[in-house]
Amino acid sequence: MNDRIIMHVDANSAFLSWSTVYALQHGGTVDYREIPSIVGGNQATRHGIVLAKSIPAKKYGIQTGEPVVQALRKCPSLVVIPPEYHVYMQCSSAMLEILKDYSDRIQVFSIDEVFLDYTGMEKVLGDPVKVAHHIKDRIKKELGFTVSIGISTNKLLAKMASDLKKPDAVTTLYREEIPFKMWKLNVRDLYMVGAATEAKLMKMGIYTIGDLANTEVEYLRYKFKSWGEVLWCYANGIENSEVKPEGEIPYVKGIGNSCTIHFDVEDRETAHKVLLSLVETVGMRLRHGNFCCRLVQVSIKTNELKSYSHQRKFFVPTDCTNAIYEEACRLFDEAWKGEPIRNLGVRVSELCGNDFVQLSMLEKDYEKQRKIDKAIDGIRMKFGSLSVFRAGFLYSRLSPLQGGIVEDFPVMTSIL
Amino acid sequence: MKVYMKQIKMIAWFSENGTLTPFKFQIKDDNNEFITVKIGRISERSEEKLAGNRMMVYRCQSEINGVERQYELKYEVATCKWYLYKM
Repeated sequence: MNDRIIMHVDANSAFLSWSTVYALQHGGTVDYREIPSIVGGNQATRHGIVLAKSIPAKKYGIQTGEPVVQALRKCPSLVVIPPEYHVYMQCSSAMLEILKDYSDRIQVFSIDEVFLDYTGMEKVLGDPVKVAHHIKDRIKKELGFTVSIGISTNKLLAKMASDLKKPDAVTTLYREEIPFKMWKLNVRDLYMVGAATEAKLMKMGIYTIGDLANTEVEYLRYKFKSWGEVLWCYANGIENSEVKPEGEIPYVKGIGNSCTIHFDVEDRETAHKVLLSLVETVGMRLRHGNFCCRLVQVSIKTNELKSYSHQRKFFVPTDCTNAIYEEACRLFDEAWKGEPIRNLGVRVSELCGNDFVQLSMLEKDYEKQRKIDKAIDGIRMKFGSLSVFRAGFLYSRLSPLQGGIVEDFPVMTSIL
Repeated sequence: MKVYMKQIKMIAWFSENGTLTPFKFQIKDDNNEFITVKIGRISERSEEKLAGNRMMVYRCQSEINGVERQYELKYEVATCKWYLYKM
């Protein structure tokens, strides 16, 4: 396994530089990459968070994910650009097309990140570092944006490497380079370590990735269960998942969608409608992956940004929109305390295959519903997602399908 | 040259192998009247794929109002629109 060569190609401030290049191509005169600027959602519909930031904006302490209002407070001269998802899709596919010239084993990890398995290709194309430089320069010349490429022997290290130097750089992080390149980094910089894990590790006196790597694995397992072992492996650069080419369904634990509604929901009927619009997309994704689910969870975020959730198991696994919807409404009614709602989410998990389904005499017969789901999915695939929708959404100010942005590109994922 | 990026009406021709050549175009002047410009000489043609968006770029020269002028035209493949890019 040691002689694998994996590259991780990461577009620098992707959404921002893609929007910029597109604008420049259409006669724009400002290069947003060189001034403090962000790509941010629409504040009027309350999707106002920072999706991407330029490097000058970073200097003001603006962070991805924070509200646009807060970012504007940090830098009043900040330029806010609306997102253009069709451009991002185009950029992402164009980048993929170029990468396909260098290997046939390519995994689209998210809209702006790609793993490329270069193993064996060095005999054809030559030294990986040289080729990575060539790829980087070619993308810059042809597509007009910069990328960072990380090279190593597995996906985790390649991803960590591409983060080390930005923008427009090629970095290697081979096993022997781990102690002096990766271990000095803050533990938060390790893949999969978020705010919660960081806080716990800090309490244990673990501040850097090196500290984590040199902690007894038994101790970590005691504190974090199996997750502790994963952390320890990651800190030591141990990870051996395959580069999964397109079309292979990654291992999924659950499917969920949530949305921030552009007004505060204060009545039960509207909330149920929002739930239905979410279940529609969740159901479609569930059936698309040939799964059935056994668990439904509804999460509610109030206008004061307090969140809570409620979940229940089905007796029999299902993939039927109506069944999930009915359960989601029951869960919502039980959990909701009557406060104005800002954000609603539906998530299904405990997935299993849908090829054999246990029937139950005590449940409603959903056979007809499943047929109609299948028909509706087919129509939507062929004629667009809004070609058929439930009459209840007419004049409701709500979109009949909610959650997710465009097509199948994940913006973020936690599975390598 | 100044960037205009103005949409224009165009007559162009395709050769058997798919090569696209602009022939003449119309553009509105400041008084909102159409001026017709016949393309005199194409000195350079190239393709750009910036942001994954294909555009054909033509550097041309014509006589406009009695003066020989250089300019650049762009054709956006995805939308089939012609633009006067720079003049």
